[in-house]
Amino acid sequence: MAVDIPLIAFLSGLAIATALAVRARLREGEAGTMTMLDSGLVFSVVGLLSSGWTYAIHNSILESGDTTMCASEGLIQCGSVIGDPDWNNLFGIPWGITGLLSFSLLFFLFLSLRMDMHAKWADSFTTYSLLAGLAGVPFVVFLVFVELTQVEGAPHICPYCTIAHLSLIGFLVVAYLVRGRKQGGIWA
Amino acid sequence: MARRRRAAAPKGRDDEVRLTAALVTFALTSMILMAVMLLAPVVKVGPSEGELAPDFSAQSYSGGTWVDFRLSDLFNKSWGPGGDGDWIVVQYIDTDCPYCWSEGELMSQLHSQWGDEVTFVTVVVELGIQGHESNREEIEAFRDKTPYDGCKTNSDCADRPGDSHPWTYVDDLNEKTTGDWEIPGTPFTALLQPDGIVAWNPLQHENDGEGIETAIQRLVGGA
Repeated sequence: MAVDIPLIAFLSGLAIATALAVRARLREGEAGTMTMLDSGLVFSVVGLLSSGWTYAIHNSILESGDTTMCASEGLIQCGSVIGDPDWNNLFGIPWGITGLLSFSLLFFLFLSLRMDMHAKWADSFTTYSLLAGLAGVPFVVFLVFVELTQVEGAPHICPYCTIAHLSLIGFLVVAYLVRGRKQGGIWA
Repeated sequence: MARRRRAAAPKGRDDEVRLTAALVTFALTSMILMAVMLLAPVVKVGPSEGELAPDFSAQSYSGGTWVDFRLSDLFNKSWGPGGDGDWIVVQYIDTDCPYCWSEGELMSQLHSQWGDEVTFVTVVVELGIQGHESNREEIEAFRDKTPYDGCKTNSDCADRPGDSHPWTYVDDLNEKTTGDWEIPGTPFTALLQPDGIVAWNPLQHENDGEGIETAIQRLVGGA
């Protein structure tokens, strides 16, 4: 079996983000909050990159009918998921673009907090981050449902789509913890 | 007279931080998008000539049972001008539309002339017009030219002009594909290159008056 370097890189990113979140929980005060924000930033960057990768796969399948960027046979593959004309877009917009825009928003919110965690809007930004993360959950549930039941030859699991889904879930957990720190008075 | 000086409100650090964060986010997203474009450029999908024909999957009938059909399965992506590969005629009809009924004969002629070089696909939609209710039995009868009351609203499908059509009919009665194809009405017949690029769209030839037959002759040749 060929080594899928992009997939390993994305999984490593998720592992780093998770490790940062775990470490942050053990630390109190500003240092812990900063590390927690770093974790959310890494989750959102992994989400951005994996969304970009799925968009590249989408274009590649349109261009040549196939792709070398991901497997197109078997249970774990992208061809039948990202290549499915009925399910590969949201109102004509490829899911990769939707992911890029969504993770950009999450990245912006956390980067703002990371750059000035004492700003007067910090409280509202922690809430926005949590709400923005929550808003993505129905889409993740829908897309997993589509992968498992709706696409041609279902069930299939698209590994890069799953990376994006895990990034969102990871971000959501971190956003919840960050908001908890803010509300609980252990922000700084 | 007192001179009033309008002083701009100084921007606080709060605003600067958010602006900087927004710029960094924009830069990062733009870099990712540029990398994607380098890796796999965007393909323009649409019904206009030169664009990749919108793909669709649906149930189809070719004389036996209804089976899955996907338009892009017909595409030969390695095709180049002058190369081997079947061109594709995509025709949209409504089995109750009188013009589609009449065009049945032209389609039979085209198929007998170019059936070896061109793959024909007829997509059946149901226009939202009273009396245009359709179903799969009607599609089968329209294609096969077999007795069924209901084609062209209340005619017998066996009386349709032309021969029975030996090519694939696709069920799109829910009009799932008409938006992507920007179908203004029926019949609508387009010609695709073997690689799926739209070679001829009738809406782009309303001024020069070129019809599908002339277009196939010009682009595919032979026959």
